[in-house]
Amino acid sequence: MTTVHTNKLVEDYLRRLEQAAAPLARARRAELVAEIREHIDDALLEAGAADEVAVRNVLERLGPPEEIVAAAGPVQRRAGRLELAAMIALAVPFVGWTVGVALVAASRTWHGREKVIGIVLGLMPALIGLLVLMAAGGGSESAVPGEPVPVGTSPEAHSESSNGLGPIELFVLLGSFLAGPLAAVYLGTRLRHPSRPSELVSA
Amino acid sequence: MEPGGTRNSLSQLRRGAVEYCVLALLRGGERYGFELVRKLSEVDGLVTSEGTIYPLLTRLRRDELVTTFWRESENGPPRRYYQLTDGGREALAGFTEEWARFRDGVDGLLKQEGTR
Repeated sequence: MTTVHTNKLVEDYLRRLEQAAAPLARARRAELVAEIREHIDDALLEAGAADEVAVRNVLERLGPPEEIVAAAGPVQRRAGRLELAAMIALAVPFVGWTVGVALVAASRTWHGREKVIGIVLGLMPALIGLLVLMAAGGGSESAVPGEPVPVGTSPEAHSESSNGLGPIELFVLLGSFLAGPLAAVYLGTRLRHPSRPSELVSA
Repeated sequence: MEPGGTRNSLSQLRRGAVEYCVLALLRGGERYGFELVRKLSEVDGLVTSEGTIYPLLTRLRRDELVTTFWRESENGPPRRYYQLTDGGREALAGFTEEWARFRDGVDGLLKQEGTR
């Protein structure tokens, strides 16, 4: 009764539904798709026809897949494999930061603003640290080495700053190592906040 | 208020009310999903997209207002049936009372606004 063409209409619709339902837990998503498939079968049976017009009518009455998923209300977000990998990577300096940032950007679980905050948080101190190191490196080559660090007046501080690594530089460098884990923690806690699927779609 | 806002708040109102309409439909005994959806969409202006009922049924089950069980059907695969729980019955009774007050209150205001 169903032709290849009408079958394709149904399968396309169900695929769109599955994509829209990506934020839902796997079991719920499978259940929803199965229920909608059953509904389509029942409705076609009731209509007594399965031609293109009948199929289109049934799908139209069901409504857009995105609307169906939005009716599920706020969903509890979970960290998928990608999100876990991103958070672990962010805690590892340098190579990890780069990988972590790429993974965060690719994630479909975090939305726009969270991604930006996570990435900036993870990378900013590293960038600042790099700038400070470069400035310090440039500074030690020029005439005034000990000037910018009035904090510690002990001999050690002086000897350190003459190497281009004063307390401030060390602090920034240390901070940049902590910022990755901090970004990971931030992104992790955001996952505890439920989110509407529609938010994810627009992100 | 922008037109989109009106539509949005109406659809929220509708969504909230439909939940209890499902419970009301189950007062007389168990029904399966498709049956519920058909009954609801027969009511004018209640359901715009039939598909949205299914996530709602899942929510009702999660909130333990309904329970589900499977039953063989004459034609085709087994069907999932929905049944009211005691909690669902209570929630429905509470809503029925609240709704009457809410409806009368809103009606009163809407009419008053017109006669000023």
